[in-house]
Amino acid sequence: MGGQGGLTLSRTLAAAAVLEGFSVRTGETLGMSQRFGSVVSYVRIGDRVLSPTFSDGGADFILGLELVETARTLKLLKPGGVVVASDAVKPPVSASLSREFCDKKKLLETIGSAASTVVVVPARRLATGAGNPRAANMVILGAFYTLQNTLSADSIRRAISEVVPSKWLESSLRAFELGVSYLRRA
Amino acid sequence: MNLLKAPEGARLALMGNEAIARGLVEAGVSVVSGYPGTPSSEVIATLHEFGAGSEIYVEWAVNERVAFEIAYGASIGGVRAAVTMKAPGASVALDPIVSSAYGGVEGGLMVLVADDPGPHTTQTEQDDRWLGFLAKLPVLSPSSPQEAKDIVVASFDLSEEVKLPVILRTTTRVNHTVGDVVLGPIRRIKRVPQIQKDVPRFVRAGMLWNLERHRWLNNQLSVVEEVFDRVSPVRNSVEGSSRLCVVTEGAAYNYVAEVLREVGGDVRVVKLVLLYPPPKKFLSEALDGCERILVVEELDPYLELVVRYTLSELGRNAAVYGKSSKHVPMEGELSTKIVRKALLSALLTDKASQEASETSGPSQLKIAARPPPMCPGCPHRNMYVALLMGISRAGFRRGEVPVFGDIGCYALGVQPPLEAIWTEHSMGASISMAMGLKVAGYEKPVVAVIGDSTFFHAGIQPLIEAVHKQVDILVVIADNSIVAMTGHQSTPAWSTVESGRKTKPIDIESIVKAVGVNHLEAVDPYDIDSTVKAFERLLRKPGVKVLISKHPCALVEARHRGVEVRYGVVEDRCTGCLACIRVTGCPAIYFDGSKARIDGEDCLGCGLCARFCPYGAIEVVSSG
Repeated sequence: MGGQGGLTLSRTLAAAAVLEGFSVRTGETLGMSQRFGSVVSYVRIGDRVLSPTFSDGGADFILGLELVETARTLKLLKPGGVVVASDAVKPPVSASLSREFCDKKKLLETIGSAASTVVVVPARRLATGAGNPRAANMVILGAFYTLQNTLSADSIRRAISEVVPSKWLESSLRAFELGVSYLRRA
Repeated sequence: MNLLKAPEGARLALMGNEAIARGLVEAGVSVVSGYPGTPSSEVIATLHEFGAGSEIYVEWAVNERVAFEIAYGASIGGVRAAVTMKAPGASVALDPIVSSAYGGVEGGLMVLVADDPGPHTTQTEQDDRWLGFLAKLPVLSPSSPQEAKDIVVASFDLSEEVKLPVILRTTTRVNHTVGDVVLGPIRRIKRVPQIQKDVPRFVRAGMLWNLERHRWLNNQLSVVEEVFDRVSPVRNSVEGSSRLCVVTEGAAYNYVAEVLREVGGDVRVVKLVLLYPPPKKFLSEALDGCERILVVEELDPYLELVVRYTLSELGRNAAVYGKSSKHVPMEGELSTKIVRKALLSALLTDKASQEASETSGPSQLKIAARPPPMCPGCPHRNMYVALLMGISRAGFRRGEVPVFGDIGCYALGVQPPLEAIWTEHSMGASISMAMGLKVAGYEKPVVAVIGDSTFFHAGIQPLIEAVHKQVDILVVIADNSIVAMTGHQSTPAWSTVESGRKTKPIDIESIVKAVGVNHLEAVDPYDIDSTVKAFERLLRKPGVKVLISKHPCALVEARHRGVEVRYGVVEDRCTGCLACIRVTGCPAIYFDGSKARIDGEDCLGCGLCARFCPYGAIEVVSSG
């Protein structure tokens, strides 16, 4: 959802990938007042990637910052793909206007039926614990880190310090670590 | 790392627009102007963010034509200049762009025009590759952030050698793609501006001169291909020698290359960077021996026409596929999926079995759409709520008072539940179109809603027109003191702009007064009751009425002042009637199945929902 830090998250992944020597492309929706609108960032990392987007069924991972939007993007996931998502549920205005109830349980069932692994993280709670409720994106990044072997923690930390404004750097790094340890404990 | 100062050879993850900004610095540009417009805005924003202390003049201008003319004036003075705009901005600047081809340049001049296949954030899928044919200026097209940076640098050398402005034509998937970019050296070009008086060259009043300059222009165009080949590190290229051939350019090339890597097959790939004038010499060699040609491009069949024309000039026969044969869609942006299908059906018919079968995918929950709404706390929301109430209070029905919208965040008032605006057309059109309906004889009141930056950009002349002809319209200037939609750029009302330059603020109210409108009022839309009354009063008056609805963009206010109060729902009192959402459409209010909920961090504390809750169930829950 626009304003939740998805752009910072994709940018951090891209910076980390470049630090690891990979070729990278991201495809963003930005530049319009997108707060609270659906936003998808595509991130592609490889030896030589060219196009910034991929088609349905192309994603190894979906990193979700909100469950309605996570469910919306499931068609992008590969069979056997992994979903790492915040537990936040923020129904769109259009749903509320028609009294449509976005049931968390149903959303999780849908996500569960599409992915081989689903990790749901109390990202906002952990980010608040890190000193910045807006750093939920960094919590998700930490959780994601534990589930892959492409990017090292060191590169991700360096990428965070390149991308995140200095004012939010410490709390972002803390939020990242809390995401990592949440998964390690679980 | 400061991407504008980082050393040659550094490898960074840069967005296309950041790479373009770096390219401008590497090219030794002196003057950069532009008007914000997605997907072009981050070029100047990057120069502002990382360019502190730089000697480059980088400023937003009041609109694209002024921006272009500023850059053109600098360039005929011999310094390197650039101007940035989105596709509709190129139309705004078209008059001076076309004339500039006849005068030509001294210092290199690069014109960034960012098109938007999709379209993601633009009124139309305007294809500005045609600017080449229309304005008779060289057009270059990059396919990646790296190419964008390198072509920017080359465009200045090309521009200075052929003495013409050069158009860098990009699309969203280049501007807004982050990619790995290796930096080049920064050229320190220090030139003292000098202007030679050359009347036939720079005075377009003489028709004989213009005919002479047109001959000059055509002569310059005839050497562009040769100069481009010499100065650009990113060349028109051909891979392979198959009789099966793809011709492509820009972002579309990426899909072609990746699909061919996946499916295999011997296909010659011809990739153009110079789009205008069509590189005849290159195409003649690159297409030699091609029997079947698929043209893969976004938007109009531009390359397809170029290829067909070139083949016919060369007297060669080949089957050409693309948009006219319906292998490539005429609308929307391409994807690997679409390009795969086109390649398999037009060229690699023996591999058609590799066509991805349509999978039904995982079981889909029906999910309500989430189009971008106005933000929580947005003063435009309050203005619209007051306008709609004012229309009723003045004795009219909502359905008989058309509201002509304009371009900016306030166009989001089109979404339910407000559904406030009836049109959104082009910059400034709200006022003139409202006037048009009125002079046609429409009897009920008509309203135009225009933002502050859009008013500066293209709203002043329409207001002059309406006042001069004494038409009965109500103009609302929704003044949030910033260009919000494109990411918070400065307006002429600012006293210090992004570069740090002290500027003289231009006061909207003084302009409106000077134009001589019949009635002028100013309100703070956060004071909802006064705003309703103002609308009610003004809708009943004759002549041109202007209401300046002034309150800073809520996001900016929250950033600068912090959030003073936040609201929450008192669960016991909430009946789930949803008046709060139905009146405001505020995205910080969620329906939890039986009751409304406000998440603390989302609320910016405008209190509009609390004002309209019939049960007093929304209260201040925290300060800050």
